[in-house]
Amino acid sequence: MSTDTNTEQLEKDTLPSEQATARKVTKKEVVKAFWRWTFFSHANYNYERLQATGVIHALSPIFKKLYGDNQEEMTKALQRHMQFFNTEPHFGGAILGVTIAMEEEKANGAPISDDMINSFKTGLMGPLAGVGDTLWQGTLIPILLSFTISFGAKGNIFMGPILFALLHMGIMWTIGYFSWMEGFNLGKEGIAKVLSGSLLPKVMSFAQTLGPIAIGALSAQFVKVSSPVKFMLGKSTLKLQNGVLDKLVLGLLPLAVTMLTYYLLKKKMKPTTVLIVLVLIGVVGGAFWII
Amino acid sequence: MKIQLWQAFLIGVVYYLGQMGTPWVSLAGTHTIMRPLVNGFLVGLILGDPVKGTIYGAAIQLPFLAWIGAGGSVPMDTALAGTLGTALGMASGVSPAVAITLAVPISLIGTMIWVLHMTVDITFVHMADQAAAEGKLNRINFLHVWPPQITMFIFSVVPAMLAAFYGAAPVKIIIGSLKGTPLHVLTVIGGLLPALGIAMNLRAMTAKSTLVFFLLGFLIAEYSKMDILPIAIFAGIIAYLYTNITVKKDGESA
Repeated sequence: MSTDTNTEQLEKDTLPSEQATARKVTKKEVVKAFWRWTFFSHANYNYERLQATGVIHALSPIFKKLYGDNQEEMTKALQRHMQFFNTEPHFGGAILGVTIAMEEEKANGAPISDDMINSFKTGLMGPLAGVGDTLWQGTLIPILLSFTISFGAKGNIFMGPILFALLHMGIMWTIGYFSWMEGFNLGKEGIAKVLSGSLLPKVMSFAQTLGPIAIGALSAQFVKVSSPVKFMLGKSTLKLQNGVLDKLVLGLLPLAVTMLTYYLLKKKMKPTTVLIVLVLIGVVGGAFWII
Repeated sequence: MKIQLWQAFLIGVVYYLGQMGTPWVSLAGTHTIMRPLVNGFLVGLILGDPVKGTIYGAAIQLPFLAWIGAGGSVPMDTALAGTLGTALGMASGVSPAVAITLAVPISLIGTMIWVLHMTVDITFVHMADQAAAEGKLNRINFLHVWPPQITMFIFSVVPAMLAAFYGAAPVKIIIGSLKGTPLHVLTVIGGLLPALGIAMNLRAMTAKSTLVFFLLGFLIAEYSKMDILPIAIFAGIIAYLYTNITVKKDGESA
């Protein structure tokens, strides 16, 4: 398995023949960081920077190893990772796996700028969130639930809730572990190759195409806005939703709301302010039965 | 059946463990406990009848089968729906089907707890900024875990415990008063909020064709009514072709 070769490689890397000053993270530290991420990624989830402090908390063992004796570099590393970060943590763990390898190279003097690390993280977090949430919450969980729920409805504890819990957590932890370690291994194979070759643009392009399509499909299913407005035209009634809006474009209102939200965020409006705008639209629109 | 105070407290703790962000059972564990199928079972266990709890939980799970929480917005609070729906259903002896009608409005009220903690947590990020500027890793780790978890514990345990302890009657009155326009407003807000999560995710993607592909996915889903997985497979094929056309061998994009 790849994890074994990884151990070997790491052992090779830590041979004394290596230059004495090289700072290497061990597999143990990478795995420790994975478990910290698996448990604590969302502990301080918030509307402004989402998983930012989760990244720092998870990568703590790495930062301590690489920058523990250099306060200046530690400060830079912490500030670099206080940026907005949000992804689906199991599939998206690959991003942080690569990030660990990038930090290691950087600590050993490779010319990797803050910008390179951040643009790598932000370039892939959205697409992997779209793909990850589609596969996990949009596909795996409904499948597992519809299988176990029929047993639960008959009062079968083991084939119901317990089986769901075991399958769900077993599958997601496994996916998370392999994404994380494979990301790290890929990074170890050579950041230079990843950053300068055609692999990264290809992965980015693939993810940045697949991601938005998946997120578009998700929003069609989960943003729900429709209008109960009716017009009286003589004796017949015209329903605004069925008779007009649906004839134009299906899902016009949810699309409009999503685009408005996107526009406000793009205008640098704070997410909490956007949230209030959405609630106000809901209160006014709902109270007058416009939506 | 009367729910004792210690039972009501434990039900509140189950609700807390099913809140996205609870680190103690991992994120996948939170996503396990937040499902009514699972938290119904746990509430049943607390009330001394896990089989009955599972039956209520399975029933309440149905309207939330395709529930999803993405990008920091939650359309409905399934953890509160499952824990309180099961507890109040079992305590008042109504059928699981009636418990569903209780659970759905509870899930809408619950989203306010989520919005509250996602907003309060911003304070701790700003404190972490200060700690980062001083290079204090351990302080960031403390701020990441303890202040948000203590506040979330209070925000989630207290209301769930009170509702479970004082029983179905007051909850029914509150929900009963939510008929008509107030319930409609809550439902509308519940339908709008996922737009924030989706837009934040989109905003994080800076490729120039992001919005075009988003529109494509949206329209495919609206017009075909396909499940999300087949759409993702089509999306994979489109992504493969698009990448081959636009990214040349040397990595330059066309």
